[in-house]
Amino acid sequence: MSANRKTPIVALKTRPSFGFLICLPLLLSLMTPMVASTIAQDEPTTGTAPEDVWSDDYINDIFPWAPAGDDILQFKQYHTYDTMKTRMMRLAEENPDIFEYHEGMNGGTNARGEEVTADAYEGWYYGHSSPWMKITKDVQGGDYNPFVGDNGNYPDRHDVMIVGNHHAREWMSVQVPMLQLEVIAFSYGNIAYDNDGDGLVDEDGWGDTDGDGVLDDDGDCIGMATEYQDSNGDGVNCGPGDHGVDEDYSEQFITELVNMREIYLIPMLNTDGNIYDREVFCPAPAWETCPSGGWRKNLRDNTFTGVTPLPDLQEDVDEDCDGVDLNRNYQFEWGAPLGATGPLIPGTCSPSEGELDGSNNDVYNGPVDTVDQDGDNRLNEDHVDGKDDDGDGLTDEDWLGGNSEPETKFIQDMTEMNDDDGDGASEFKSTLTHHSYSELILWPWGHCTDCQSPDHYQLQYHGQKMADMTLYANLQSSSLYPTSGDFCDWHYGVHGSYCYTSEIGTAFHQHPDDIDHIAVRNLGLGFYIAEIADNPRERADDGLAQLSANLLDEPKDILPLSKGDIPVDICVANGFDYSLDGDVSHVMYRIVKPSRAQSDYGPREWSTTAWSMSPFEVDSSDTCTLGNGDNGTVLTSSLPIPDNVAGEVHYKAMLGTLSGGNLYLFPTNGEYYVLELDYRADYGGLFGALFMFLVVAGFVWGGLAVCLRMMLVDENDKEFVEAILEDGS
Amino acid sequence: MAQSDQFNGRLGLIFASIGAAIGTGNIWRFPRMVGANGGGTFLIPWLIFLFAWSIPLVIAEFAMGKRSRTGTIGTFRIFAGKKFAWMGLWTAWISTAIGFYYAIVAGWTIKYFQLGITGGLTGEGVDTTEVWNSFLQSPGQVIFFQFLVICLTLAAIWKGAKAIEKVNVVLMISLFVLLFMSLFLSLWMDFEDGTLDGATFMFSVDFDLLFEPEIWINALSQSAWSCSAGMGMAITYAVYMRKDEDTVLNAFTMGLANNSISIIAGLAVLSSIFAVSSDPLATVTGGSSAITFLALPEVFAQAPGGSIGPFVMMSGFFLALSFAALTSMISTVELCVRNFVDHGYNRERSVAITGLALFIFGLPSAIIWIKLDSSGVAFPEFLEVQDHIWGYGLMFSGLFIAFSIWKYGYLRWKAQVEAGEAPGGLKGYLGVGVSAFRDDFINTGDNDIEVGRWWDILLYIAFPILFTVLMVSYFSDMIANTEDVWNPANPKGLGIILAFWGVIAVSFIFLNKYLIQRPIFRNIPEGADVDISTLPGGQDDKVHQLGDLVPGFEHLASDDVVFEAEAV
Repeated sequence: MSANRKTPIVALKTRPSFGFLICLPLLLSLMTPMVASTIAQDEPTTGTAPEDVWSDDYINDIFPWAPAGDDILQFKQYHTYDTMKTRMMRLAEENPDIFEYHEGMNGGTNARGEEVTADAYEGWYYGHSSPWMKITKDVQGGDYNPFVGDNGNYPDRHDVMIVGNHHAREWMSVQVPMLQLEVIAFSYGNIAYDNDGDGLVDEDGWGDTDGDGVLDDDGDCIGMATEYQDSNGDGVNCGPGDHGVDEDYSEQFITELVNMREIYLIPMLNTDGNIYDREVFCPAPAWETCPSGGWRKNLRDNTFTGVTPLPDLQEDVDEDCDGVDLNRNYQFEWGAPLGATGPLIPGTCSPSEGELDGSNNDVYNGPVDTVDQDGDNRLNEDHVDGKDDDGDGLTDEDWLGGNSEPETKFIQDMTEMNDDDGDGASEFKSTLTHHSYSELILWPWGHCTDCQSPDHYQLQYHGQKMADMTLYANLQSSSLYPTSGDFCDWHYGVHGSYCYTSEIGTAFHQHPDDIDHIAVRNLGLGFYIAEIADNPRERADDGLAQLSANLLDEPKDILPLSKGDIPVDICVANGFDYSLDGDVSHVMYRIVKPSRAQSDYGPREWSTTAWSMSPFEVDSSDTCTLGNGDNGTVLTSSLPIPDNVAGEVHYKAMLGTLSGGNLYLFPTNGEYYVLELDYRADYGGLFGALFMFLVVAGFVWGGLAVCLRMMLVDENDKEFVEAILEDGS
Repeated sequence: MAQSDQFNGRLGLIFASIGAAIGTGNIWRFPRMVGANGGGTFLIPWLIFLFAWSIPLVIAEFAMGKRSRTGTIGTFRIFAGKKFAWMGLWTAWISTAIGFYYAIVAGWTIKYFQLGITGGLTGEGVDTTEVWNSFLQSPGQVIFFQFLVICLTLAAIWKGAKAIEKVNVVLMISLFVLLFMSLFLSLWMDFEDGTLDGATFMFSVDFDLLFEPEIWINALSQSAWSCSAGMGMAITYAVYMRKDEDTVLNAFTMGLANNSISIIAGLAVLSSIFAVSSDPLATVTGGSSAITFLALPEVFAQAPGGSIGPFVMMSGFFLALSFAALTSMISTVELCVRNFVDHGYNRERSVAITGLALFIFGLPSAIIWIKLDSSGVAFPEFLEVQDHIWGYGLMFSGLFIAFSIWKYGYLRWKAQVEAGEAPGGLKGYLGVGVSAFRDDFINTGDNDIEVGRWWDILLYIAFPILFTVLMVSYFSDMIANTEDVWNPANPKGLGIILAFWGVIAVSFIFLNKYLIQRPIFRNIPEGADVDISTLPGGQDDKVHQLGDLVPGFEHLASDDVVFEAEAV
């Protein structure tokens, strides 16, 4: 087989004819299944070269949706605001069934009863609203949302929001959503496209789809010679972003996702800041002029030239003071004093006083609110934290500050005015915001340290999934550093959305050579967040429950049995919100004994008792390890099976969640385990037995003796009588 | 006057009755029940039911048979009335139907005795499962031993009561001796490992378990089936009683002897299994035939005393078992034959016909549906289905006996009320009616023990309750544990039982009117008190005594024997 494989390669190197080149992909595609299977079977010591397996385009990072020379569309060069906008409009034109392009929103009366116009969402300085794409199947159909301005609102499709570029200088955070957009456009309906040209389709989706602990599900990267295993040069062989890793995702999956979700993709939220960073603050090439810095905030005019900050093209940006850190400007726990990274005095711009050097103002969170929103003549008495701080029966109705910027208002109103099913709750059950850099996946809370959200373990669960996909670190946001007023605290804290922040890459202005592979490495995140948007909590619970899948004690774990109740343990993930209510979480067991009605002549027959339930309790004296290596909690159930029962015990476990939403069965196939049960009781004491023996023997044998004696006496009497009578006659 | 057929001595009757009562149930079922039901705990209800169920029923049977002096059909014809002769037919049929396959089971025991003698069960590399499977799967072998059993049985009953008596005396005494021998060796084995755990277990009471209804139900079933109470055996043997026989003492002796043997057999089996098996209770709670033919040979092979011990144990035990089976077989066949003879058929011919029927109708149980269970052990499914159907039917024979007693009591009371001899109302019924059977047929003056009011209470109150509990618990158990339980095609279901019962009961009730057209001859010893005038069937002009000249049956009266008797 290997001889066959070499022939065309030799031919390629010696006689590269045009006809042959045309045929090459076909030939390769015919052979690669064989190659792949060879690799899977006996890891070759020398390894394979990329040309043996993949298409040339794939090897050279040529994406199929644009000519090889188009650097921007090939992700060899950054999108600018203009190229991005143009591309988005073009894609919407070409894919009118799934894409609808927008800038900002129409406005109207928002969820807080404020009259808002479209210009409320325009950047202070350059005056652009954030471009965004509405993505769903039949996007021109469905309901029209006059406030947001989009069609394609379906009550039965879950919404998901993906936002890039809160921070102007974090350019990769624009590229990743743009790549996702390209991939959706290219993949929708393009079922079974062979992304890597190896002749296989959909053989390696994002993450470890086959659960073997290796990202490279089809083993094509691993099968390469070692020198080809780290194509992105990050030092990790066959890691995410390397050729051959998660490279052939399912177009079917993407298509179905688009059919079942409404994706709100906002690649560049902070248009002002991005343009300013690119055109003014960091002259090209930015990766050289601003290797570790750049413009972060939006372009709010903090220098009090007018009554309120007004768009003022004439005025230069005061770089020491202007701008608000959009990712500190959301209202939830806005301005919570969190130490050095927060502004010293919420709502102030210290440098404008001319006293400080502005070292703090990169994370300026916006002005303190000056409006008495509820008109009770008290100011800012109930800020946004989900609690009724002033005890007036209203919650969060007169806030301290936050959501003061066009960009954050845009996010807020888009979230709050997008209630397809009219239930008053946010449609966005999951949200993702891209940032850079640090190679992290972050999730709430950010505003407090040593605190855990009610969904801590569930958030952690999905975070880990995304971290596995990218080989990033999975952290609660405040474990990195505390932040207040960020996108995710607001989305989760106010709207209960499972919100994640990805910190992409290794630089703000990542070198253009790295755009493509870093974007590819992070491509799966946006699809994952869309996938879980239907019920992230339940999905996490499912996942956490699956960690216990093989951890219900099997019979061999229980044996040998001692006397008394039979303990059956299961190891559960910390944070899996198991219920200890015996009605939903319990071991079901039944005893199978030799049947009472057993035939004397047939085989052994069994009599089966009905299933009984035995509740679980936490065994804090024991520890256990989950399938993924984490420590878990031991739940134990004591089956009250009498010592003197012999036969079999059938058992299986069910775990319910506190929310009551799910029930999990163990073993997961719905079967039960069979425990052979020996007689465990004592056979009895010698003296008791002796006593009982005497009683029984006395009764039975004694009684028999008495009867026989009576009978014999009788018999003798009669014979005696008869003998006398005979004598007499 | 024609000479009646009688047992020679009192002990003869006792041995025959004990032989009927003691069957394989004592030897292989009892140890299993003890093992599965908490050891010594089980013995308490088991003993209680001996006195509450078995002995009272046997007393009733003896009393009925001694008065009617006919087999089951005649007894019901006389005691329950013409319309109810079919109850006797039912009783006879159930017993005979069981005999069809019991002959095969008895054959197994003889085969194993033969194996014991020839050493086919001991030695290196003997796999008892293999031995059992190859035996059960060779129809020739099974049929041969079935045939052997039928021949032995027929030989024993060919000549009537006196021969039955002699055979039973010999077999029963041998059985005692053999079982004691086995017991001795078993206890030795059990003691060798330092503890008498088998014996200890068998006599240790767990008082908590005593409150489990299941233990009581199992004890009742063991008592009901193992003692043959209410199955017509005692009626049949009572026909051969001498005129002044003590029915009550006989019943007690028979019941106690039955339980005595059970204890000996239980002790022998449990001790030996506990001595050898690592999980004795799992072994002992397997199927009955599994214990006997798979586990015990393995256990016995480890008996002490070199090659002598295993040899003695194996052959002795299986010989005892085959004796127990044979004596039960004898009573089964005699029950059927007696009914033929009652109706004027020649005894030898009846015996031959019964024997032939046993052989032919037993063949399917011997050869078809020999299956392997999940653990690879062969079992005869057709035989098992037969047992499944007719085993429970036995209980109804007991119910019919109780019915006769209840009916007699009611009629007697009514008659006396009409004659002005007894008060009416509930008080009168309780005073005269309920005790009528006991007064008229049990306490006849022949008994050393006067039967008191307790018997009435047991028969009128305890019996119906226990009967109901037994049937309901069995059937509900079956319904709960059997899939597709109502489908008559399911051999393990309830549907098949009810279907067979229905067909048999309906056709017997239909046959009843032909049955009572035929004269019946009572086997009355000379000078016996045989007044049946107060009974429902007492006025039946077709009920004759042996020796009466009946048109069409003159040959019975003109028998040589009769002339000889008259000539004296």
